[in-house]
Amino acid sequence: MTDADAFEAFVRRYQDMVFGTAVRLLGSPVEAEDVAQTVFLRAFQRFSEIGSSPAAAGWLKTVTRHACLNHLSRYRARWRFFSELERADRDDSEPDAIATMASKNSPTLELEQAEQREQLEEAIRLLPDHQRVPLVLFHFEDASYQEIAALLGVSLGKVKTDIHRGREALKKHLTTAHASR
Amino acid sequence: MHPADLEQLVHRELRQLPTPAAPRTLLPHVLAAVRQWTERPWYARAWLTWPRAWQAASIAALIVLLAGCAMLVPGAEAVASRGASASVSGALGDVVGMAQRAQMVVNATRVLWRALLEPLVARAFALVVLLCLACAACGAALNHVAFGRTVPS
Repeated sequence: MTDADAFEAFVRRYQDMVFGTAVRLLGSPVEAEDVAQTVFLRAFQRFSEIGSSPAAAGWLKTVTRHACLNHLSRYRARWRFFSELERADRDDSEPDAIATMASKNSPTLELEQAEQREQLEEAIRLLPDHQRVPLVLFHFEDASYQEIAALLGVSLGKVKTDIHRGREALKKHLTTAHASR
Repeated sequence: MHPADLEQLVHRELRQLPTPAAPRTLLPHVLAAVRQWTERPWYARAWLTWPRAWQAASIAALIVLLAGCAMLVPGAEAVASRGASASVSGALGDVVGMAQRAQMVVNATRVLWRALLEPLVARAFALVVLLCLACAACGAALNHVAFGRTVPS
């Protein structure tokens, strides 16, 4: 197997993991694909070291996480002002808005699990950045509150509050999905 | 619902979600990016990976450039003083006193340059670099305070 074949196999093996992490953190499939491409290019540059390493998955996850956070801080920093200005209004309206969006295509509770999961993914994507990112880091990436606070450069209390608000925003949809099983 | 129960419910539900599948376009895009990266010209790569001949040529060019700069400074200074003298004497013709005064000014400037300014050039350059670094640090700190480090909140 040539290096090119080995790298192609490497990408095939890890592409879902890298893209999945990126799309959940960024909430945008297009941006997630860009970040995933950057991550794999970086992996190629160090392929001799990580190509056959058992730590490759961990390395990719870490690089993806940091690439996503850099992407958010670089391209969406200005959103902070708007999100802070609108937070009071949005926090009240988000659960309903997300539930409405999530149930837009579900007239009955007899939805198939796949559809429910897709809707749940969509509901996560619809969360504002400051709720979605810590929530994804906590529930999908197994990061602790302290680690998230350090990673995002915000206080521990803010991380807990944002994650709780994110859970509240997902609650209605979760309860519906939970009850229909 | 109690926050702890909500946390458990959310965690259970989210962990059951399958990993989102990467789009089919990702693999070809990655391979194209890798191909482009490997085929980029030598001068776009890191200097340590340049061909030996080009590394040697770049070092030689740098030395020539630095030597040229070092030689140019006194030469330019002399040309400037000669030009100043000639223009002053030419313009004023027989007004010798004016030319002499101009010559004195040039000489005084030259002496000042050699005695005071020339030794300070390197330090002034270092000071400018330090000020630039301080500005960059202030900008970064301001950016950190104003925009936050990572996630908008």
